[in-house]
Amino acid sequence: MSKRSRAQSYPVQLIDLVLIELSNWRWCWRSIVVVGTFVPLFGMVGLSIYARDLGPEALNTIFSGSLVMSLMLGNLGSIQSHVVFMRFQGTLEYFATLPIHKHTLILAIIIAFFLLSLPALLTLLIFGSALLKISLAPHPLAMLVIPLCVLPMSAVGALIGANVGNPQQGGALSILTTFLFAGLGPVLFPAERLPEILQLIGEINPAARAASALRQTLIGPLGELIALDLAIVSGFTLCVLFLVGKKLDWRARHSL
Amino acid sequence: MIVYDVDSLCKIYPGQAVPANNNISFQVCEGEIFGILGDNGAGKTTLIKQMVNLLGSTSGSILLYGKPVTHDSLYLPSLVGYMPQESHALNQLTAGEALYYSAHLRGMNRSAAIDERNRLLKFWKMEDLRDQYSSRLSGGQRRLLRLAVATAASSKVLVLDEPTNDLDPQKRRLVWENLRVLNRDRGKTIIFITHDAVEAERVIERVGILHRGKLVITGSPHVLKRNLKNKLRLEIAFEPGQAPPLPADLELHRLTATRWQIYLEQHQLGDVIAALDIDRLTDMKLSSATLEDLYFHYVEAV
Repeated sequence: MSKRSRAQSYPVQLIDLVLIELSNWRWCWRSIVVVGTFVPLFGMVGLSIYARDLGPEALNTIFSGSLVMSLMLGNLGSIQSHVVFMRFQGTLEYFATLPIHKHTLILAIIIAFFLLSLPALLTLLIFGSALLKISLAPHPLAMLVIPLCVLPMSAVGALIGANVGNPQQGGALSILTTFLFAGLGPVLFPAERLPEILQLIGEINPAARAASALRQTLIGPLGELIALDLAIVSGFTLCVLFLVGKKLDWRARHSL
Repeated sequence: MIVYDVDSLCKIYPGQAVPANNNISFQVCEGEIFGILGDNGAGKTTLIKQMVNLLGSTSGSILLYGKPVTHDSLYLPSLVGYMPQESHALNQLTAGEALYYSAHLRGMNRSAAIDERNRLLKFWKMEDLRDQYSSRLSGGQRRLLRLAVATAASSKVLVLDEPTNDLDPQKRRLVWENLRVLNRDRGKTIIFITHDAVEAERVIERVGILHRGKLVITGSPHVLKRNLKNKLRLEIAFEPGQAPPLPADLELHRLTATRWQIYLEQHQLGDVIAALDIDRLTDMKLSSATLEDLYFHYVEAV
Protein backbone atom coordinates (compact mmCIF):
# COMPACT_ATOMS: atom_id res chain seq x y z
CA MET A 1 0.00 0.00 0.00
CA SER A 2 1.43 3.35 -1.00
CA LYS A 3 0.44 4.93 2.31
CA ARG A 4 2.96 2.79 4.16
CA SER A 5 6.32 4.22 5.02
CA ARG A 6 9.15 2.01 3.81
CA ALA A 7 10.76 -0.11 6.51
CA GLN A 8 14.55 0.05 6.48
CA SER A 9 16.56 -2.97 5.40
CA TYR A 10 17.68 -5.40 8.09
CA PRO A 11 21.31 -4.12 8.24
CA VAL A 12 20.19 -0.48 8.48
CA GLN A 13 17.74 -1.38 11.25
CA LEU A 14 20.53 -3.22 13.06
CA ILE A 15 23.03 -0.36 12.77
CA ASP A 16 20.50 2.21 14.01
CA LEU A 17 19.43 0.03 16.90
CA VAL A 18 23.04 -0.75 17.88
CA LEU A 19 23.80 2.99 17.88
CA ILE A 20 20.70 3.68 19.99
CA GLU A 21 21.67 0.89 22.38
CA LEU A 22 25.27 2.07 22.52
CA SER A 23 23.99 5.33 23.95
CA ASN A 24 23.35 3.28 27.09
CA TRP A 25 26.97 3.95 28.03
CA ARG A 26 25.59 7.24 29.31
CA TRP A 27 24.00 5.46 32.24
CA CYS A 28 25.77 2.11 32.53
CA TRP A 29 29.46 3.01 32.30
CA ARG A 30 29.85 3.00 36.06
CA SER A 31 28.42 -0.50 36.33
CA ILE A 32 30.65 -1.66 33.45
CA VAL A 33 33.73 -0.24 35.16
CA VAL A 34 32.85 -1.75 38.54
CA VAL A 35 31.20 -5.06 37.60
CA GLY A 36 33.01 -5.68 34.33
CA THR A 37 36.50 -4.53 35.28
CA PHE A 38 37.25 -4.05 38.97
CA VAL A 39 35.31 -7.01 40.37
CA PRO A 40 36.93 -9.57 38.01
CA LEU A 41 40.33 -7.86 38.40
CA PHE A 42 40.21 -7.96 42.19
CA GLY A 43 38.83 -11.49 42.03
CA MET A 44 41.71 -12.47 39.78
CA VAL A 45 44.24 -10.99 42.19
CA GLY A 46 42.59 -12.70 45.18
CA LEU A 47 42.36 -16.09 43.52
CA SER A 48 45.92 -15.86 42.21
CA ILE A 49 47.20 -15.55 45.80
CA TYR A 50 45.41 -18.80 46.64
CA ALA A 51 46.49 -20.51 43.40
CA ARG A 52 50.10 -19.32 43.27
CA ASP A 53 51.38 -22.66 44.43
CA LEU A 54 49.07 -24.71 42.24
CA GLY A 55 51.01 -24.16 39.08
CA PRO A 56 50.53 -22.39 35.74
CA GLU A 57 47.47 -24.47 34.79
CA ALA A 58 45.53 -23.11 37.78
CA LEU A 59 46.62 -19.56 37.02
CA ASN A 60 45.51 -19.98 33.40
CA THR A 61 42.11 -21.14 34.63
CA ILE A 62 41.78 -18.21 36.97
CA PHE A 63 42.76 -15.85 34.16
CA SER A 64 40.29 -17.24 31.63
CA GLY A 65 37.61 -17.59 34.31
CA SER A 66 37.99 -13.93 35.20
CA LEU A 67 37.62 -13.00 31.55
CA VAL A 68 34.44 -15.07 31.43
CA MET A 69 33.16 -13.35 34.57
CA SER A 70 33.71 -9.99 32.92
CA LEU A 71 32.57 -10.85 29.40
CA MET A 72 29.70 -13.18 30.09
CA LEU A 73 28.43 -12.55 33.55
CA GLY A 74 28.92 -8.78 33.52
CA ASN A 75 26.86 -8.67 30.35
CA LEU A 76 24.25 -10.97 31.87
CA GLY A 77 23.55 -8.44 34.63
CA SER A 78 23.67 -5.39 32.36
CA ILE A 79 21.40 -6.88 29.72
CA GLN A 80 18.99 -8.27 32.29
CA SER A 81 18.53 -4.88 33.94
CA HIS A 82 18.31 -3.18 30.55
CA VAL A 83 15.58 -5.51 29.28
CA VAL A 84 13.63 -5.12 32.53
CA PHE A 85 14.00 -1.35 32.18
CA MET A 86 12.75 -1.54 28.60
CA ARG A 87 9.70 -3.55 29.64
CA PHE A 88 8.72 -1.44 32.60
CA GLN A 89 9.61 2.02 31.28
CA GLY A 90 7.88 1.76 27.91
CA THR A 91 11.00 1.47 25.74
CA LEU A 92 9.82 -1.81 24.32
CA GLU A 93 6.49 -0.23 23.39
CA TYR A 94 8.35 2.56 21.64
CA PHE A 95 10.35 0.07 19.57
CA ALA A 96 7.27 -2.07 18.93
CA THR A 97 5.59 0.87 17.22
CA LEU A 98 8.50 1.30 14.79
CA PRO A 99 8.75 -0.83 11.64
CA ILE A 100 11.55 -3.04 12.95
CA HIS A 101 11.95 -6.72 13.75
CA LYS A 102 12.10 -7.93 17.33
CA HIS A 103 15.10 -10.17 16.71
CA THR A 104 17.00 -7.21 15.26
CA LEU A 105 16.42 -5.36 18.49
CA ILE A 106 17.56 -8.31 20.65
CA LEU A 107 20.68 -8.74 18.52
CA ALA A 108 21.37 -4.99 18.67
CA ILE A 109 21.18 -5.03 22.48
CA ILE A 110 23.63 -7.93 22.68
CA ILE A 111 26.07 -6.38 20.17
CA ALA A 112 25.94 -2.98 21.90
CA PHE A 113 26.58 -4.40 25.35
CA PHE A 114 29.40 -6.56 23.96
CA LEU A 115 31.03 -3.46 22.46
CA LEU A 116 30.53 -1.64 25.75
CA SER A 117 32.31 -4.45 27.59
CA LEU A 118 35.38 -4.46 25.31
CA PRO A 119 37.34 -1.81 27.26
CA ALA A 120 36.91 -3.92 30.40
CA LEU A 121 38.07 -7.00 28.51
CA LEU A 122 41.19 -5.24 27.25
CA THR A 123 41.97 -3.95 30.74
CA LEU A 124 41.65 -7.44 32.15
CA LEU A 125 43.76 -8.94 29.38
CA ILE A 126 46.58 -6.46 29.88
CA PHE A 127 46.59 -6.14 33.68
CA GLY A 128 45.50 -9.71 34.36
CA SER A 129 48.20 -11.30 32.23
CA ALA A 130 50.81 -8.97 33.81
CA LEU A 131 49.63 -9.69 37.37
CA LEU A 132 49.47 -13.45 36.92
CA LYS A 133 52.62 -13.50 34.76
CA ILE A 134 50.80 -15.28 31.95
CA SER A 135 52.27 -15.01 28.49
CA LEU A 136 49.49 -14.54 25.97
CA ALA A 137 49.66 -16.33 22.63
CA PRO A 138 46.45 -15.23 20.91
CA HIS A 139 45.20 -17.41 18.07
CA PRO A 140 43.26 -15.69 15.23
CA LEU A 141 40.28 -17.81 16.27
CA ALA A 142 40.08 -15.62 19.40
CA MET A 143 38.42 -12.96 17.21
CA LEU A 144 35.52 -15.37 16.80
CA VAL A 145 35.64 -16.92 20.24
CA ILE A 146 35.50 -13.66 22.22
CA PRO A 147 32.22 -12.40 20.72
CA LEU A 148 30.81 -15.92 20.78
CA CYS A 149 31.56 -16.17 24.49
CA VAL A 150 29.45 -13.11 25.18
CA LEU A 151 26.35 -14.49 23.54
CA PRO A 152 25.12 -17.25 25.87
CA MET A 153 25.03 -15.21 29.06
CA SER A 154 23.77 -12.13 27.24
CA ALA A 155 20.92 -14.26 25.98
CA VAL A 156 20.32 -15.58 29.52
CA GLY A 157 20.27 -11.98 30.77
CA ALA A 158 17.70 -11.07 28.13
CA LEU A 159 15.63 -14.14 29.03
CA ILE A 160 15.61 -13.23 32.73
CA GLY A 161 14.75 -9.64 31.87
CA ALA A 162 11.92 -10.76 29.61
CA ASN A 163 10.31 -12.95 32.28
CA VAL A 164 10.68 -11.42 35.72
CA GLY A 165 7.76 -9.67 37.38
CA ASN A 166 9.74 -6.67 38.59
CA PRO A 167 13.28 -5.21 38.54
CA GLN A 168 14.10 -6.49 42.07
CA GLN A 169 13.35 -10.08 41.04
CA GLY A 170 15.54 -9.58 37.99
CA GLY A 171 18.50 -8.37 40.06
CA ALA A 172 18.26 -11.29 42.49
CA LEU A 173 17.83 -13.87 39.76
CA SER A 174 20.81 -12.62 37.76
CA ILE A 175 23.08 -12.76 40.80
CA LEU A 176 21.91 -16.32 41.50
CA THR A 177 22.39 -17.28 37.85
CA THR A 178 25.85 -15.72 37.79
CA PHE A 179 26.94 -17.78 40.81
CA LEU A 180 25.43 -20.93 39.35
CA PHE A 181 27.18 -20.60 36.00
CA ALA A 182 30.44 -19.54 37.63
CA GLY A 183 30.30 -22.31 40.22
CA LEU A 184 28.97 -25.27 38.27
CA GLY A 185 32.11 -26.34 36.48
CA PRO A 186 35.72 -25.35 35.85
CA VAL A 187 35.17 -21.63 35.26
CA LEU A 188 37.31 -20.06 37.97
CA PHE A 189 38.88 -23.20 39.41
CA PRO A 190 40.74 -26.00 37.61
CA ALA A 191 38.61 -29.06 36.90
CA GLU A 192 40.80 -31.34 39.02
CA ARG A 193 40.06 -29.19 42.09
CA LEU A 194 36.29 -29.66 41.72
CA PRO A 195 34.08 -32.57 42.87
CA GLU A 196 33.20 -35.07 40.17
CA ILE A 197 29.60 -33.90 39.95
CA LEU A 198 30.69 -30.33 39.20
CA GLN A 199 33.12 -31.57 36.60
CA LEU A 200 30.28 -33.46 34.92
CA ILE A 201 27.95 -30.44 34.99
CA GLY A 202 30.83 -28.34 33.70
CA GLU A 203 30.83 -30.43 30.53
CA ILE A 204 27.61 -28.73 29.45
CA ASN A 205 27.97 -25.44 31.31
CA PRO A 206 28.39 -22.79 28.58
CA ALA A 207 30.39 -20.59 30.97
CA ALA A 208 32.88 -23.40 31.56
CA ARG A 209 33.00 -24.13 27.83
CA ALA A 210 33.58 -20.46 27.07
CA ALA A 211 36.40 -20.34 29.63
CA SER A 212 37.96 -23.38 27.98
CA ALA A 213 37.67 -21.80 24.52
CA LEU A 214 39.17 -18.53 25.76
CA ARG A 215 42.03 -20.38 27.44
CA GLN A 216 42.86 -22.28 24.26
CA THR A 217 42.68 -19.26 21.94
CA LEU A 218 44.41 -16.71 24.18
CA ILE A 219 47.01 -18.81 25.97
CA GLY A 220 47.08 -22.05 24.02
CA PRO A 221 47.50 -24.72 23.06
CA LEU A 222 44.52 -24.94 20.73
CA GLY A 223 43.12 -28.48 20.93
CA GLU A 224 40.32 -30.48 19.38
CA LEU A 225 38.18 -29.55 22.34
CA ILE A 226 37.61 -26.11 20.85
CA ALA A 227 35.06 -27.44 18.35
CA LEU A 228 32.97 -29.00 21.12
CA ASP A 229 33.33 -25.87 23.26
CA LEU A 230 32.06 -23.64 20.46
CA ALA A 231 29.29 -26.08 19.51
CA ILE A 232 27.95 -26.12 23.10
CA VAL A 233 28.25 -22.34 23.48
CA SER A 234 26.51 -21.75 20.11
CA GLY A 235 23.79 -24.34 20.69
CA PHE A 236 23.01 -22.99 24.13
CA THR A 237 22.90 -19.44 22.73
CA LEU A 238 20.52 -20.35 19.91
CA CYS A 239 18.15 -22.14 22.29
CA VAL A 240 18.08 -19.25 24.74
CA LEU A 241 17.69 -16.62 22.01
CA PHE A 242 14.76 -18.58 20.61
CA LEU A 243 13.14 -18.48 24.05
CA VAL A 244 13.85 -14.75 24.40
CA GLY A 245 12.11 -14.12 21.07
CA LYS A 246 9.11 -16.13 22.29
CA LYS A 247 8.94 -14.60 25.74
CA LEU A 248 9.67 -10.94 25.15
CA ASP A 249 6.33 -9.07 25.07
CA TRP A 250 6.12 -7.20 21.85
CA ARG A 251 3.29 -6.62 19.44
CA ALA A 252 0.15 -8.68 19.87
CA ARG A 253 0.01 -11.62 17.54
CA HIS A 254 -3.07 -13.40 16.26
CA SER A 255 -4.60 -13.61 19.70
CA LEU A 256 -8.25 -13.39 18.68
CA MET B 1 -11.96 5.56 3.08
CA ILE B 2 -12.16 3.78 6.41
CA VAL B 3 -8.89 3.87 8.31
CA TYR B 4 -9.87 2.00 11.45
CA ASP B 5 -12.78 -0.42 11.64
CA VAL B 6 -13.24 -1.64 15.21
CA ASP B 7 -15.88 -4.32 15.59
CA SER B 8 -17.29 -5.90 18.78
CA LEU B 9 -14.01 -5.48 20.59
CA CYS B 10 -13.58 -6.95 24.04
CA LYS B 11 -10.58 -7.16 26.34
CA ILE B 12 -10.53 -9.13 29.58
CA TYR B 13 -7.19 -9.04 31.40
CA PRO B 14 -6.04 -12.37 32.84
CA GLY B 15 -7.41 -12.87 36.35
CA GLN B 16 -10.02 -10.11 35.95
CA ALA B 17 -13.73 -10.81 35.91
CA VAL B 18 -14.79 -7.44 34.53
CA PRO B 19 -13.80 -6.61 30.95
CA ALA B 20 -11.56 -3.57 30.51
CA ASN B 21 -13.65 -2.85 27.45
CA ASN B 22 -16.61 -4.63 26.02
CA ASN B 23 -18.42 -4.79 22.69
CA ILE B 24 -16.82 -1.69 21.27
CA SER B 25 -17.55 -0.88 17.65
CA PHE B 26 -16.73 2.24 15.68
CA GLN B 27 -15.03 3.44 12.55
CA VAL B 28 -12.59 6.23 11.89
CA CYS B 29 -12.44 7.64 8.37
CA GLU B 30 -9.41 9.02 6.56
CA GLY B 31 -8.62 12.63 7.41
CA GLU B 32 -10.76 12.62 10.54
CA ILE B 33 -9.82 13.91 13.99
CA PHE B 34 -11.44 11.45 16.35
CA GLY B 35 -11.35 12.09 20.09
CA ILE B 36 -12.00 9.49 22.76
CA LEU B 37 -13.29 10.91 26.02
CA GLY B 38 -13.65 8.97 29.21
CA ASP B 39 -13.14 9.02 32.96
CA ASN B 40 -10.26 7.29 34.74
CA GLY B 41 -10.47 3.53 34.32
CA ALA B 42 -12.94 3.79 31.44
CA GLY B 43 -10.67 1.61 29.29
CA LYS B 44 -9.32 4.33 26.99
CA THR B 45 -5.65 3.35 27.12
CA THR B 46 -6.53 -0.34 26.77
CA LEU B 47 -8.52 0.48 23.63
CA ILE B 48 -5.72 2.60 22.17
CA LYS B 49 -3.14 -0.11 22.87
CA GLN B 50 -5.35 -2.66 21.14
CA MET B 51 -5.62 -0.29 18.18
CA VAL B 52 -1.83 -0.03 17.86
CA ASN B 53 -1.43 -3.77 18.37
CA LEU B 54 0.47 -3.54 21.64
CA LEU B 55 -2.27 -5.48 23.37
CA GLY B 56 -4.18 -8.50 22.10
CA SER B 57 -7.97 -8.60 22.24
CA THR B 58 -10.12 -11.25 23.88
CA SER B 59 -12.66 -11.06 21.06
CA GLY B 60 -13.67 -8.79 18.20
CA SER B 61 -11.58 -7.35 15.40
CA ILE B 62 -9.62 -4.24 14.48
CA LEU B 63 -8.98 -3.56 10.82
CA LEU B 64 -6.53 -0.90 9.65
CA TYR B 65 -7.14 0.06 6.03
CA GLY B 66 -9.08 -3.17 5.68
CA LYS B 67 -6.46 -5.50 7.11
CA PRO B 68 -6.21 -6.86 10.67
CA VAL B 69 -3.74 -4.87 12.76
CA THR B 70 -1.96 -8.17 13.34
CA HIS B 71 -1.63 -8.67 9.55
CA ASP B 72 2.16 -8.72 9.55
CA SER B 73 4.62 -7.43 12.08
CA LEU B 74 5.62 -4.34 10.08
CA TYR B 75 2.18 -3.47 8.69
CA LEU B 76 0.84 -1.28 11.49
CA PRO B 77 4.14 0.42 12.46
CA SER B 78 4.56 1.47 8.83
CA LEU B 79 1.24 3.32 8.90
CA VAL B 80 0.70 4.53 12.44
CA GLY B 81 2.64 6.88 14.69
CA TYR B 82 1.82 6.20 18.34
CA MET B 83 2.39 8.41 21.33
CA PRO B 84 2.15 6.53 24.65
CA GLN B 85 0.75 8.18 27.76
CA GLU B 86 3.80 7.48 29.91
CA SER B 87 7.18 6.40 28.69
CA HIS B 88 10.82 6.77 29.53
CA ALA B 89 11.71 5.07 26.29
CA LEU B 90 14.07 7.70 24.99
CA ASN B 91 15.76 8.61 28.25
CA GLN B 92 19.32 7.94 27.17
CA LEU B 93 18.94 9.82 23.88
CA THR B 94 18.95 13.54 23.25
CA ALA B 95 15.79 15.06 21.80
CA GLY B 96 17.54 15.45 18.43
CA GLU B 97 18.74 11.84 18.40
CA ALA B 98 15.29 10.53 19.32
CA LEU B 99 13.71 12.39 16.40
CA TYR B 100 16.46 11.42 13.95
CA TYR B 101 16.38 7.70 14.74
CA SER B 102 12.58 7.57 14.75
CA ALA B 103 12.45 9.18 11.31
CA HIS B 104 15.29 7.03 9.95
CA LEU B 105 13.83 3.78 11.28
CA ARG B 106 10.50 4.73 9.72
CA GLY B 107 12.13 4.58 6.31
CA MET B 108 13.66 8.01 5.62
CA ASN B 109 17.18 8.16 4.26
CA ARG B 110 19.90 9.80 6.34
CA SER B 111 19.71 13.32 4.99
CA ALA B 112 15.90 13.29 4.90
CA ALA B 113 15.87 12.11 8.52
CA ILE B 114 18.18 14.97 9.52
CA ASP B 115 15.89 17.44 7.72
CA GLU B 116 12.88 15.85 9.41
CA ARG B 117 14.55 16.19 12.82
CA ASN B 118 15.19 19.89 12.20
CA ARG B 119 11.67 20.43 10.87
CA LEU B 120 10.09 18.74 13.87
CA LEU B 121 12.24 20.65 16.37
CA LYS B 122 10.99 23.85 14.77
CA PHE B 123 7.38 22.71 14.33
CA TRP B 124 7.09 21.73 17.99
CA LYS B 125 9.17 24.74 19.13
CA MET B 126 11.85 22.56 20.68
CA GLU B 127 14.97 23.85 18.93
CA ASP B 128 16.64 24.69 22.24
CA LEU B 129 16.09 21.10 23.46
CA ARG B 130 17.90 19.44 20.55
CA ASP B 131 21.00 18.42 22.49
CA GLN B 132 19.37 17.84 25.84
CA TYR B 133 18.95 14.33 27.17
CA SER B 134 15.36 13.26 27.32
CA SER B 135 15.85 12.20 30.94
CA ARG B 136 16.65 15.80 31.88
CA LEU B 137 13.57 17.32 30.27
CA SER B 138 10.57 18.38 32.33
CA GLY B 139 7.40 16.26 32.22
CA GLY B 140 5.79 18.62 29.73
CA GLN B 141 8.87 18.82 27.48
CA ARG B 142 9.14 15.04 27.49
CA ARG B 143 5.48 14.72 26.49
CA LEU B 144 6.05 17.18 23.66
CA LEU B 145 9.07 15.14 22.54
CA ARG B 146 6.98 11.94 22.54
CA LEU B 147 4.41 13.73 20.42
CA ALA B 148 7.11 14.96 18.02
CA VAL B 149 8.54 11.42 17.81
CA ALA B 150 5.09 10.02 16.98
CA THR B 151 4.75 12.48 14.12
CA ALA B 152 8.22 11.76 12.69
CA ALA B 153 8.43 10.55 9.09
CA SER B 154 4.86 11.38 8.24
CA SER B 155 2.89 8.35 9.34
CA LYS B 156 -0.57 8.60 7.81
CA VAL B 157 -2.30 7.92 11.09
CA LEU B 158 -1.51 9.31 14.52
CA VAL B 159 -2.74 7.62 17.68
CA LEU B 160 -2.09 9.78 20.72
CA ASP B 161 -2.67 8.93 24.37
CA GLU B 162 -3.31 12.13 26.36
CA PRO B 163 -1.25 14.49 24.19
CA THR B 164 -1.75 17.56 26.40
CA ASN B 165 -1.36 16.22 29.96
CA ASP B 166 1.33 18.05 31.97
CA LEU B 167 1.55 20.85 29.42
CA ASP B 168 1.29 24.51 30.29
CA PRO B 169 -1.48 26.52 28.55
CA GLN B 170 0.90 27.85 25.90
CA LYS B 171 2.14 24.39 24.96
CA ARG B 172 -1.41 23.00 25.04
CA ARG B 173 -2.42 25.61 22.51
CA LEU B 174 0.62 24.72 20.38
CA VAL B 175 -0.38 21.04 20.43
CA TRP B 176 -3.98 21.67 19.37
CA GLU B 177 -2.88 24.11 16.65
CA ASN B 178 -0.22 21.74 15.32
CA LEU B 179 -2.59 18.79 15.30
CA ARG B 180 -5.01 20.85 13.27
CA VAL B 181 -2.20 21.78 10.85
CA LEU B 182 -1.13 18.14 10.52
CA ASN B 183 -4.71 17.16 9.78
CA ARG B 184 -5.47 20.03 7.39
CA ASP B 185 -2.17 20.37 5.52
CA ARG B 186 -0.78 16.85 5.66
CA GLY B 187 -4.02 14.91 5.62
CA LYS B 188 -3.23 12.96 8.75
CA THR B 189 -5.93 10.96 10.46
CA ILE B 190 -5.67 11.69 14.17
CA ILE B 191 -7.10 9.61 16.98
CA PHE B 192 -6.50 10.70 20.54
CA ILE B 193 -7.55 10.23 24.12
CA THR B 194 -8.04 13.21 26.34
CA HIS B 195 -9.46 14.32 29.66
CA ASP B 196 -9.35 17.86 28.44
CA ALA B 197 -12.77 17.99 26.81
CA VAL B 198 -13.01 21.76 26.77
CA GLU B 199 -9.74 22.32 24.89
CA ALA B 200 -10.08 19.25 22.70
CA GLU B 201 -13.28 20.73 21.32
CA ARG B 202 -11.09 23.05 19.23
CA VAL B 203 -10.02 20.17 17.01
CA ILE B 204 -12.35 17.20 17.50
CA GLU B 205 -14.48 16.38 14.48
CA ARG B 206 -15.98 13.20 15.89
CA VAL B 207 -16.04 12.00 19.43
CA GLY B 208 -16.47 8.66 21.17
CA ILE B 209 -17.44 8.66 24.84
CA LEU B 210 -16.16 5.69 26.80
CA HIS B 211 -17.61 4.84 30.19
CA ARG B 212 -16.88 1.75 32.28
CA GLY B 213 -15.42 -0.07 29.28
CA LYS B 214 -18.34 0.64 26.97
CA LEU B 215 -18.59 3.08 24.13
CA VAL B 216 -21.65 5.10 25.14
CA ILE B 217 -21.96 7.19 21.99
CA THR B 218 -20.02 8.28 18.91
CA GLY B 219 -20.75 11.17 16.60
CA SER B 220 -19.85 14.70 15.70
CA PRO B 221 -20.12 17.04 18.70
CA HIS B 222 -22.49 19.46 17.00
CA VAL B 223 -24.92 16.70 16.08
CA LEU B 224 -24.75 15.11 19.54
CA LYS B 225 -25.33 18.47 21.19
CA ARG B 226 -28.76 18.61 19.54
CA ASN B 227 -29.80 15.88 21.96
CA LEU B 228 -28.96 18.00 24.96
CA LYS B 229 -31.98 19.38 26.73
CA ASN B 230 -30.29 22.51 27.98
CA LYS B 231 -27.94 23.82 25.35
CA LEU B 232 -26.77 27.00 27.01
CA ARG B 233 -24.41 27.31 29.92
CA LEU B 234 -24.36 30.39 32.14
CA GLU B 235 -21.63 30.75 34.72
CA ILE B 236 -21.95 33.47 37.34
CA ALA B 237 -19.70 34.54 40.20
CA PHE B 238 -20.56 36.86 43.08
CA GLU B 239 -19.27 38.18 46.39
CA PRO B 240 -19.78 35.94 49.44
CA GLY B 241 -23.33 36.27 50.77
CA GLN B 242 -24.51 38.06 47.61
CA ALA B 243 -26.11 35.07 45.83
CA PRO B 244 -28.58 36.37 43.26
CA PRO B 245 -32.25 35.25 43.35
CA LEU B 246 -33.01 33.04 40.36
CA PRO B 247 -36.14 31.37 38.96
CA ALA B 248 -36.86 28.13 40.81
CA ASP B 249 -36.90 25.49 38.05
CA LEU B 250 -33.30 25.88 36.81
CA GLU B 251 -30.64 23.16 36.50
CA LEU B 252 -28.07 24.74 38.77
CA HIS B 253 -24.64 23.45 39.82
CA ARG B 254 -22.89 25.15 42.73
CA LEU B 255 -19.25 24.96 41.61
CA THR B 256 -18.12 26.85 44.74
CA ALA B 257 -19.90 28.97 47.37
CA THR B 258 -19.54 31.99 45.10
CA ARG B 259 -19.63 30.47 41.60
CA TRP B 260 -22.62 28.76 40.01
CA GLN B 261 -23.19 27.12 36.68
CA ILE B 262 -26.69 27.14 35.21
CA TYR B 263 -27.85 25.06 32.25
CA LEU B 264 -30.59 26.73 30.25
CA GLU B 265 -32.87 26.29 27.33
CA GLN B 266 -33.02 29.24 24.99
CA HIS B 267 -36.50 30.33 26.11
CA GLN B 268 -35.34 30.56 29.75
CA LEU B 269 -32.50 32.92 28.99
CA GLY B 270 -34.51 36.17 29.02
CA ASP B 271 -36.07 35.49 32.43
CA VAL B 272 -32.73 34.54 33.98
CA ILE B 273 -30.88 37.58 32.64
CA ALA B 274 -33.74 39.79 33.81
CA ALA B 275 -33.52 38.26 37.31
CA LEU B 276 -29.82 38.96 37.63
CA ASP B 277 -28.47 42.20 39.01
CA ILE B 278 -25.39 42.42 36.79
CA ASP B 279 -23.76 45.02 39.06
CA ARG B 280 -23.73 42.57 41.96
CA LEU B 281 -21.95 39.86 39.96
CA THR B 282 -18.17 39.63 39.87
CA ASP B 283 -18.17 37.59 36.66
CA MET B 284 -20.60 36.19 34.13
CA LYS B 285 -20.06 33.91 31.11
CA LEU B 286 -22.63 32.63 28.68
CA SER B 287 -21.70 29.88 26.25
CA SER B 288 -23.25 27.12 24.22
CA ALA B 289 -22.96 23.60 25.63
CA THR B 290 -19.41 22.26 25.43
CA LEU B 291 -17.97 18.85 24.75
CA GLU B 292 -17.62 18.49 28.49
CA ASP B 293 -21.38 19.02 28.92
CA LEU B 294 -21.92 16.45 26.23
CA TYR B 295 -19.65 14.03 28.08
CA PHE B 296 -21.49 14.49 31.38
CA HIS B 297 -24.86 14.19 29.66
CA TYR B 298 -24.08 10.81 28.11
CA VAL B 299 -22.14 9.42 31.06
CA GLU B 300 -24.82 10.35 33.57
CA ALA B 301 -27.48 8.84 31.33
CA VAL B 302 -25.87 5.38 31.61
